[in-house]
Amino acid sequence: MTILTRANFALPGTSLNYHTGTWRVQKPQHAHASAPCHGVCPAGEDAQAYLAALEEGHPEQAWRILVSANPLPATTGRVCHHPCESACNRGQYDQPIAIHLVERWLGDEAIRHNWAYPVERPKADAPRMAVVGAGPAGLANAYHLLRLGYRVDLFDQLPEAGGTLRTALPPYRLPREVLDAEVQRLLACGIDFHPNKKLGRDLDLDQMRLDYQAVFVAPGLQQGKEWSIDGVVPSDLHSGLDMLRDWISLGVVPKVRSAAVIGGGNTAVDLARILKRAGAAEVHLITHQSLPGDGHPLDVMSAIPREIAQAEEEGVTIHANRGVRRLILRGERVVGIEMVRMKKIDRGAGRPERVAFEGTETVLHVDQIIPAIGQALDADGMHALLGRAAHFHADTWGVSPLEGVFVGGDAREKSGGSVTAAVGDGRRAALAMHRHARGEANPEKEPMAQIIGIESLNLHYYEHAPRPDEPMLPAEQRRGDEEIELGISAEAVRGEAHRCLSCGNCLACDNCWTLCPDSAVLKTREFASDGSHYVFDYDYCKGCGLCAHECPCGYIQMAEDL
Amino acid sequence: MTTETHIDIAELRKKQPRFNAIDSGHRACLGCGQALGARLVGEAVGPDIIVANATGCLEIFTTPWPESAWRVPWMHSLFENAGAIASGIEAAMRAQGKSTKVVAMGGDGSTFDIGFQALSGMLEREHNVLYVCYDNEAYMNTGVQRSSSTPHAAMTNTSPPGKARMGKRHLKKDIVQIIAAHHTPYAATASVAYPSDLRKKIRRAMEIEGPTFIQIHAPCPLGWGHEGHESIEVERLAVQTGLFPLVELERGELTGVMPIRQQVPVTEYLKRQQRFRHLFAKGDSRAAEELEHIQALADHNIEVYGLRGEGVDRFDTEGSDTVHRGGQRWA
Amino acid sequence: MMQPLEGSQALARAVALCRPQVVAAYPITPQTHIVENISKLVADGVLNCEFVSVESEFSAASVVLGAAAAGSRAYTATASQGILLMNEVLYNIAGSRIPLVLTCANRAVSSPLSIWNDQQDSMAVRDAGWIQLYCADNQEAVDTTIQAFRIAEATELPVMVCVDGFTLTHTLEGIDIPEVAEVDAFLPPFEFGRKLDPRNPKSLGTLLSPDFYPEARHSHHMALEKAQAVIEQVDADFAAAIGRRSGGLLTVEGPEDARIGILTLGSVIGTFREAAEEGTDLPAAKLIKLRSFRPFPVEALKAAVAGLTDLIVVERALSPGAGGIVGAEVRAAMSELADAPRVHNVALGLGGRDIPMSSYAELLALAERDAPLRFAVFDADLNKLPEEDR
Repeated sequence: MTILTRANFALPGTSLNYHTGTWRVQKPQHAHASAPCHGVCPAGEDAQAYLAALEEGHPEQAWRILVSANPLPATTGRVCHHPCESACNRGQYDQPIAIHLVERWLGDEAIRHNWAYPVERPKADAPRMAVVGAGPAGLANAYHLLRLGYRVDLFDQLPEAGGTLRTALPPYRLPREVLDAEVQRLLACGIDFHPNKKLGRDLDLDQMRLDYQAVFVAPGLQQGKEWSIDGVVPSDLHSGLDMLRDWISLGVVPKVRSAAVIGGGNTAVDLARILKRAGAAEVHLITHQSLPGDGHPLDVMSAIPREIAQAEEEGVTIHANRGVRRLILRGERVVGIEMVRMKKIDRGAGRPERVAFEGTETVLHVDQIIPAIGQALDADGMHALLGRAAHFHADTWGVSPLEGVFVGGDAREKSGGSVTAAVGDGRRAALAMHRHARGEANPEKEPMAQIIGIESLNLHYYEHAPRPDEPMLPAEQRRGDEEIELGISAEAVRGEAHRCLSCGNCLACDNCWTLCPDSAVLKTREFASDGSHYVFDYDYCKGCGLCAHECPCGYIQMAEDL
Repeated sequence: MTTETHIDIAELRKKQPRFNAIDSGHRACLGCGQALGARLVGEAVGPDIIVANATGCLEIFTTPWPESAWRVPWMHSLFENAGAIASGIEAAMRAQGKSTKVVAMGGDGSTFDIGFQALSGMLEREHNVLYVCYDNEAYMNTGVQRSSSTPHAAMTNTSPPGKARMGKRHLKKDIVQIIAAHHTPYAATASVAYPSDLRKKIRRAMEIEGPTFIQIHAPCPLGWGHEGHESIEVERLAVQTGLFPLVELERGELTGVMPIRQQVPVTEYLKRQQRFRHLFAKGDSRAAEELEHIQALADHNIEVYGLRGEGVDRFDTEGSDTVHRGGQRWA
Repeated sequence: MMQPLEGSQALARAVALCRPQVVAAYPITPQTHIVENISKLVADGVLNCEFVSVESEFSAASVVLGAAAAGSRAYTATASQGILLMNEVLYNIAGSRIPLVLTCANRAVSSPLSIWNDQQDSMAVRDAGWIQLYCADNQEAVDTTIQAFRIAEATELPVMVCVDGFTLTHTLEGIDIPEVAEVDAFLPPFEFGRKLDPRNPKSLGTLLSPDFYPEARHSHHMALEKAQAVIEQVDADFAAAIGRRSGGLLTVEGPEDARIGILTLGSVIGTFREAAEEGTDLPAAKLIKLRSFRPFPVEALKAAVAGLTDLIVVERALSPGAGGIVGAEVRAAMSELADAPRVHNVALGLGGRDIPMSSYAELLALAERDAPLRFAVFDADLNKLPEEDR
């Protein structure tokens, strides 16, 4: 029996005896969502996570989070087309986080401080895996297999590891000392690298299937595609891919006065820029695709926008939405081309069609025409894998029709065609190979928390702040291999970490703790089990939803609780 | 990063790195602005206080006997005498040679209206009391009737709109100026949407020996007609429109304002609240006129207090609630 | 030491002897001299207390409520309109069981406006839950004030000391003011168990549900009932310490065998005493001085009327439409007696109307009536009224 106190006084804090949580019909929950940068990264990087570690002042931890997905950040930070930044929610608020510059900075810091990759050397009796092709897909695959405890034999037909990174990326985009350092550090983790081994010549896929738990094949696309205009091929036709390789490995290309490079990809753009460096007075780049930000979204130049911009700075003339209709030959030598305006438009056929507009023909005088319209797979030793196809058929896990053989990289049909996509292929295939070795099935796709859109964030709590400008080598100084993009300072990197909206993840900002009218959010010094710093006290939470509404990051969601 | 799987919530509650003058288990409505405001005040005033609480929601929802949410000595007497009760407690502290600060609390009804005389006397006699008014702009505890704080044109149960009326006919009383006119050392307005600013003002008031006054604009989901989870969003708009200026007055002189970086049209604020829904009646010219009137009132506030910001300022209406990883915002 | 003092001045001295820590007051005739004298004692450094000059009686009552709740001995004084303005707070103080002392310098209540004495003011707040003690003279007023703090603090109830305005407050008499040491010994420092204290933070004034409200009211009622014994005991203790009684709950004077009694409250008894002394030709009568109106001492009253055939209740207030206030309560108490006297009830001296000695004989003559006088404003001259208002 409750006994009345004198003049009904009450003792402090006795309201705790009354559980207002019983009023609740909905309850707040911490709901981890994936930031869009994470959701779209072809390599599977969680930029939000490493930006958070960076902001907390732990750069090495940030790098370890980064390399838990992608072991080549110094490289990809330079060459990736960073879809993460296009997806970044902050882009709809002011400017996206300069994720690729943060990635690059972390990669460079790791090299500078020789931070150890989070890998243990495999046990001497660990099962063996084979990887064919030491490009980004193969390197990433080998690294992740190592992380999973396997011994790895990595084969490449070239004397050095790196694949396309080494053969097709000009040093002004990817300085060789950066590539060398990153690849060497990676190989030094315990990968057994076997150079000068080519499938079909030195290696036999069937034998490898017997010798190894599983084999990953990522040969890349090494051959230029054949090209002609109505069957006409100039006598002095050079392949763009070959010229690029020659420049990169030998530092020479044939002298030309004026050239037209055909194509809208990175190879075409790089080739055009090399020709300028080699002294060509006029370099034209002709593509039937549109410039970035213009035209049909499915018909935009695949080259990285910032590379296109730099090419223009360096004097390359870009003719977008133009097709080559006719070669103007004197004898068998090209003296010019006839171009016509083209565009992909919707004519009601279900998919957009490319249309040439009559009456827009123009003539361009050039003494060289160089096609750079894509590469093809060298099928040696892979016929069993390929059949009659031009690319490997495989799912996202790289599972090929051949038992125990996994494929990835540029040679995989529906591959992203980028370095980071190759890294992602390698990582996913490693997981699949591990499951294969254990007799486990692959899930349909990689598990990923729901991606959170900007509408789920509360933008009131952020301040506008500009993205840092990256210093660039002035166009007139770009003569050879000098790196053009110069990266940003540590301070600017911290600034970017601070600008990160922490989409879908706890910012530890105290909003919920501060604004709960019922003191039903408690703060923990340590992390709570869900990775936040806060715990809901459901004995008292009335389910008003204020915390969820005011969470800047969309990390709190209300769920029915009847 | 996951370390703990089980957390003893009762223990954790005891270790919170802030002083909770009001604990959980109180019976305020969902999303109550006053409950939040009182908790924020409690954090900033620390444990060595005595609270004199006027009749009203805060008093009712914190102390249904045998429970009390308070962790500081607290007394409720009547609706209209919080200023005088506080004066008496303060006189007792003075007589006993104690430094314990007395904090009086009341709603807008008990402050602007029925308890105004006692408050005025308290100020005139220079009692060392911090008086906190939670201003939700009507008599909410009795079921939403107009007070002298109810803003112009707002609908309450005693200022209903109809053929002859468009809600409250009169203006909101400018209480902080009236308080400041008592030659009060410190009188300020604050908003629960800007907790850092609010606590900063409370701490400032606590440092002053003598009477101080803080008017805290606190949304009432029930009385204003919005959802509980919208309390902060709506309240922020009250400030960003200029309808509730955040100002500091010392000895009657304006000594500080929270600049408005981007003035928001009053309709953004009004349309979120049922109490103003009659102002959005289609084809009613009176409604259109009242909207213009309210916009003019906001513009007037901005002009007389000089609220228009000059560019980005970390203490303006956009910068003051910026969050940072690790919670430094709430220093 | 016996000295000639104005009643208010003596009261101020008595209050000061009780060492109040907080005094709050708002001026109203005829209370002003009391608080003016206290102010002077404070100004002269004789009394060390916080004197709060408030802006209304409402705040005066609130200030002393807050102060006492915070553990300080507190005092206020008022009258008439002032006590009515305090009314809400008076209920709150009593229901909160806060011990403090209030002097009511009894005065008529407007309208019509009158600044003169009757007891309508304190009677109007009789249900607030306070102890009400009525004083017959200024010595009693001084002694009762000192006792009031002891009673209040022992019972955790507020005590209203009712002193007739002007008649007592503004009259010069020879009054004995006790010594400081005597009062200090009689009245120990105030210790309040429920005080507002950050080291033991209680919540006072909570909301009580119907599940407990009747019990709270019952306990308040019982507190007043039990206070009867405390009032008697404190009066006895005061007599032991200082050498004087103030009349406990009530006193009875006059011949043992008298068959007529006159019951009254406050200073009018002085007039009746004098008239009885001089009127040797008048029938013998007992004078019953009701000191404690709240609690209402039913048992003591029943004993006091033993042997009486007629009891004349003379009061200084009325409840229009019902009649006497004290008279109604006395009649109710008499109903418990098998051989109760007839009760005649009159209001007398309202709004400061002089009560001449001759009125004593007129009152005694009521015993000769065939039927008891239910109620009358005894000294009203109906000729002064228009026909329709008589």
